[in-house]
Amino acid sequence: MAEVTAAAGQLSEAARAELLDLCEDQFAQLEKLQNEIILCESNFCENPQEQSVNRRIATEAELKLWQTVEPTLLAANSEILLQAGKEEMLKLCSELEMVVSCSEAKRDKLRETIELEQKWLAEKRQVLEAAAVHTERLQAEKENSSAHNVLPDTKAKIQKMKAYQDRLMEALGDILEKYAPFPQNSSINKNTEIDEDLISLREILEVLMNKILNTPHDPYVTIDNTFWPPYIELLLRHGIAVRHHENNFKIRLENFF
Amino acid sequence: MSQLRPFSKLPALNTATVLLVENEEQFQQSLAEALVEETSVTVNVRLSKSLPLPTDSDDSRPRIDLVVFIINLTSELSFQSAEASLKYLDPGYFLGKVCFMVTNGRNASVPMERLDAVRKLAATLHCPLLFAEDKTPDGVASAAERLWTILKVAAGLVPITTALYLSNLSRCTLPPDIDQPSFN
Repeated sequence: MAEVTAAAGQLSEAARAELLDLCEDQFAQLEKLQNEIILCESNFCENPQEQSVNRRIATEAELKLWQTVEPTLLAANSEILLQAGKEEMLKLCSELEMVVSCSEAKRDKLRETIELEQKWLAEKRQVLEAAAVHTERLQAEKENSSAHNVLPDTKAKIQKMKAYQDRLMEALGDILEKYAPFPQNSSINKNTEIDEDLISLREILEVLMNKILNTPHDPYVTIDNTFWPPYIELLLRHGIAVRHHENNFKIRLENFF
Repeated sequence: MSQLRPFSKLPALNTATVLLVENEEQFQQSLAEALVEETSVTVNVRLSKSLPLPTDSDDSRPRIDLVVFIINLTSELSFQSAEASLKYLDPGYFLGKVCFMVTNGRNASVPMERLDAVRKLAATLHCPLLFAEDKTPDGVASAAERLWTILKVAAGLVPITTALYLSNLSRCTLPPDIDQPSFN
């Protein structure tokens, strides 16, 4: 009814009058129904179960109504029908346009998603290929290697590692000898007294390394008078050693990975 | 006890009336402003802190097509107030003319139990449960839009649809295992 009155603006006098009559009829019927509703005592109650029952009854009633209802013509006048139909069509058009733009946006979004997913798939495929190659290689290795040649292999590897370590150690020793000589009276200010028990940087490092390797749970070394303070400073400043959190006189080798 | 009845008054022409019930009275003002921007029909928004409504304004009040309970999840009082207000509604309203709107649902300090309680309440009353963002203008606008969709139907402005029909489709339902501790 509301739409019909809204459309009435562009109609001829006769059609307009007819439409208003229709509206009045409808409104009279509405008033009649309203009075009936008010006269009806509502027997609803607040129990949720009963409310579900009410709901079912109301829904069933509505269903029955929809099943029995016959489609009726809005009005007999063709002019009114044309006008109403035109408006409905325009409304429908604008709604459908909205649907189109919405679904287009959705389609674009989906396209983007599918691109991303395909990229992802390609990446995963590559990973799978790499993994397959790896397993193949491992499989082949497993077949080739037996208990007989694993042991010599490992031994050779250990030997190689040891040689490498020795070389590293030697290099470290050389460097230390060259650039961090044993603290001597001559090398520094004559006024400062040098403790006779001092040990070289190489020995300090040795102590630290042995400590961290032998007792990994307690890698800290207590600083005593044999440690020349500038060397400790050097180690700490360059991040080779770190101090204990609570005890200033303890240091340990930094964790190298 | 004066109950609010859905059909006690004649409807006005081209008008939809919504009653926003919120204990804190924070969100209802901005939501109302967003709702009345609708131009195709007259939208009346009535605000209230809780039900029952004062009886002296009974005559001037239009027929209320939809009652919306706004529940702020961060406040227990908000939920209790909405729950207490429910009994002042005629059961006829629960056939599609009530809906719950929850705010602050994304707040981390909200206990899960409260949201579950609201969902249970909405499910036992077969009402739709909407979630709204009240801090941003966009959130308010989209909340108003969703509410308007329900209001249009509840006010009878959409042909071939009724409030009961819509609410049968949009009512809140509970997963059957919500009471189990593993439910997440």
